[in-house]
Amino acid sequence: MSDTQTPGLIAVAVCIAAPLVGAVALRFAERLFNPRLIAATAVGVSLMAAIVAAACWHCGSGRPATFGHQLAGGDVVFVDGLTALLLPYVAVVDMAIVLVAPRRAFASPAVRRLLLGAAITFATLSTSHPIVLVVLWAVSILSTWTTIRSTMGGRGAARVYGLTMSMAVACMTIGTALLVADPPWLVGSGMTGAAGGWLVALAVMIRKGLVPFHSWYPALFSGASLATALVVTMPQVATYTALRLLVGHADGVPHELVVLANAALLTAAYGAALAVVQRDVRGLLGMLAMSQSAMVLAGLSGTVPTELCGALAVWVSSGLALTGIGLVAWAIESRGGMISIESLQGRFADAPALAAFFLLFGLAILGFPGTLSFVADDLIISGSLDDHLHAGVFVILTTVFAGIAVMRGWFRVFGGPVTVDAPRHAILPRERFAFTALLAILFGLGLWPGPFVQSLENVAASLLAARQHHDAPAPSGVHP
Amino acid sequence: MTLPPLLTDPLSALVVWQLVAPVTALASIGLPSLLGRPLSERATTRIVAAAFATGFVAALVTLVVIANRGFAAHVVHLGRLFAVGHHAATIELVADGLSVPYVCFSTGLCALVNAFAGKYLHREPGFTRFFILLALFGTGMNLMVLAGSIDVLFAGWEFLGISSALLIGFFHERRNAVDAALRAFTTYRICDVGLFAASVVIHQATGSGDFERLFTGTWPHAACLVPPATALFVSMLLVFAALGKSAQVPFSGWLPRAMEGPTPSSAIFYGALSIHAGAYVLLRCESVLDAAPAAGWLLVAIGAGTALHAAVVGSVQTDLKSMLVYASMTQAGLILAEIGVGWRVIPLVHVISHAILRSLQILRSPSAMHDRHELAAALGGHPGPSDWSLLRLLPPRVARGLYHVALERGFEESFVSGLFVRPLLALLTSADRLERRWAALLGGGSADARARRSSDGGVV
Repeated sequence: MSDTQTPGLIAVAVCIAAPLVGAVALRFAERLFNPRLIAATAVGVSLMAAIVAAACWHCGSGRPATFGHQLAGGDVVFVDGLTALLLPYVAVVDMAIVLVAPRRAFASPAVRRLLLGAAITFATLSTSHPIVLVVLWAVSILSTWTTIRSTMGGRGAARVYGLTMSMAVACMTIGTALLVADPPWLVGSGMTGAAGGWLVALAVMIRKGLVPFHSWYPALFSGASLATALVVTMPQVATYTALRLLVGHADGVPHELVVLANAALLTAAYGAALAVVQRDVRGLLGMLAMSQSAMVLAGLSGTVPTELCGALAVWVSSGLALTGIGLVAWAIESRGGMISIESLQGRFADAPALAAFFLLFGLAILGFPGTLSFVADDLIISGSLDDHLHAGVFVILTTVFAGIAVMRGWFRVFGGPVTVDAPRHAILPRERFAFTALLAILFGLGLWPGPFVQSLENVAASLLAARQHHDAPAPSGVHP
Repeated sequence: MTLPPLLTDPLSALVVWQLVAPVTALASIGLPSLLGRPLSERATTRIVAAAFATGFVAALVTLVVIANRGFAAHVVHLGRLFAVGHHAATIELVADGLSVPYVCFSTGLCALVNAFAGKYLHREPGFTRFFILLALFGTGMNLMVLAGSIDVLFAGWEFLGISSALLIGFFHERRNAVDAALRAFTTYRICDVGLFAASVVIHQATGSGDFERLFTGTWPHAACLVPPATALFVSMLLVFAALGKSAQVPFSGWLPRAMEGPTPSSAIFYGALSIHAGAYVLLRCESVLDAAPAAGWLLVAIGAGTALHAAVVGSVQTDLKSMLVYASMTQAGLILAEIGVGWRVIPLVHVISHAILRSLQILRSPSAMHDRHELAAALGGHPGPSDWSLLRLLPPRVARGLYHVALERGFEESFVSGLFVRPLLALLTSADRLERRWAALLGGGSADARARRSSDGGVV
């Protein structure tokens, strides 16, 4: 750790610690303060710290900031461009959830679990140490499983989640142990390291919800609360893990990434296609989330900077837009019950402002000009076609199906004769603030994408450098 | 100190204003609505009117200036949106003999429809929504028409698609309107693949999306700069894209249903501007089409086929709006056929004249009964049906068969639905059912927890 790295590392520490402090404060001061106020303050501090960490990286020399024990090329604390991009993004997602969550769903134990989950995610995204990653995987999965299980009607989903994730943790643990024992990023590594790489790839496939291990994704969105589903899926921890552990092998050909990329392409198109025939909004959101997150991994496995930039942009744009649309759906559910999309629900007259936000977030998912997803789709499709023709075709199919699914969802939820015979539900100020802020980010970065895309290019360059220079230290976190 | 280029070059400023005007209107009425403080009806219509009127004046002045310069293209470089490696998205506008006349009549028509709709939709619950979508449409139209690169054109194209679908579903409480809107959007989305793929191919072939690298010279005598094979591929993709927006067979099923929207939007979208968006794109890339004769002949076949189909089906329609929309489809088909033949100025004149006439007819359609009564009063009796029809020249058996075909709308929808839509939906539904069963098995038979969930949305 050098002096120039200290501010960034302190900011990361604050980012991780703030939600933990918030959770402790909630335990002891819940009668004195509103839980939402405590949670918003904690996540707000994390957000500010994440922005500082990102600024430190951008203003620095471009070298990653590291701290702590190093094992198998990974550091306990590792902050590079990818971390600098993801920490503020996850903090924004968490902040939106804290602001929008319905009051009756915001009980103190649930908020503590939310804050704990946020801290674990921040910690995961700030490390490249294999063992720390395994431990954080296990802790976050256990925490999520407990949360789903405590949700009313969520036992089935918890069982699906538990079964699949226990497989993922087992693969991850054994795979990482083999990787550490015989690091494939060292010249002369043998079959043990290769087997470890494949096991980690399998763990990533399961946790990422790639076909055929995707069943937990719709089950999570159906059985858990939308906050849990969004907190678990939007950060895309599995993609991050793949980038930290599967990049920079000595043979220069990350076969595991190629397999993951093809599975991700199939998942992206399949998820978007199934989204078209979903019967309720939660199913729609689950399939869209599965599809979009797979598209990120597909793009990140590419070899062209354009494709990598597109994948990173999809990571942020689809994450923010899906968070927005998910929270709008949650707000509507909290007013009028579960939302079927088998037939027209006629909710427009009941909640016109929520209809407008749902539509705008939907447009931000389907690649509407002026939104960040337009830039992201343009980059990822151009890059995919540069890389492999079939990849571009799959990505185009995904965007077509996703667009139809989103608009079908909007028309089915809000169109049709009025069914809710009640006074109009006004949107709450905190909801309007959160939705407007999310939209401001999505449209702001879409209308003025230059600086953001340039920063993504730097991150993409560091990821590509990690793959190409086997002998040099890999900026993405894996040092030979 | 140097002044920004837009200030030193008045013509560029005029071109940019044609785009900025509707954007300003969109932001001025859209943002207050989003923040929960919608403007009054009067303020809304005045802002939109001012935007379109000033845009129209700017377009007229631009037309005069470039006419004095022999319609040489005036390109306005607004900068680069983003760039990664060799892939860059630039913002370029072009004012030439194709784009400026188009902007003149599109902004002029938007201004007139704005004036009409201000009265027509008075106190309608979705009043502000209509004008937001009209401003969005105007933005998209001008963006598409003035585009100097395929990226900008695609952005405008998407604006047209979404504003069109939302206006078809304007009366959201009507089931038919919502179904029609979704059908239109789905058709657009499928055909948009053509334009998007064409954009990517152009980027890969020329290293940029700028039209300057795709063709050179003054419209309509530009020369294609890409190899014939690329030109053929791009042309085929552009033709595919045009089929959706211009409601050509086999993608015409959405158009008759689009009349579920309010009359002013029907007039401007399906009688005048949106339906000719495909023709505009093909006219803009006419040199690429010239370099690919096969695509031109395909266009002739599709256009002529659609014209015939729409003429036959339109003859049995029993309501005025449906008759008008099939008449629009007929003319759109003829225009595409003219483009396919290789004509350039004739289709442009055809587009403008048809757009003006048809939008007038659709705007007058709600008053048709009133007009009919006035005519009857003036004539001193009912004018009666016309005895003359081309169909009477056919043998009765053929005429009966044709009548049956017309009533079934040429079996177009059953064909498309039976061959593509239903099998695809059946496949996806089966896959979804299997997914649910598998999830239920994994979840101990209780994965479908939604049924038992409380209505409060659960806990965090």
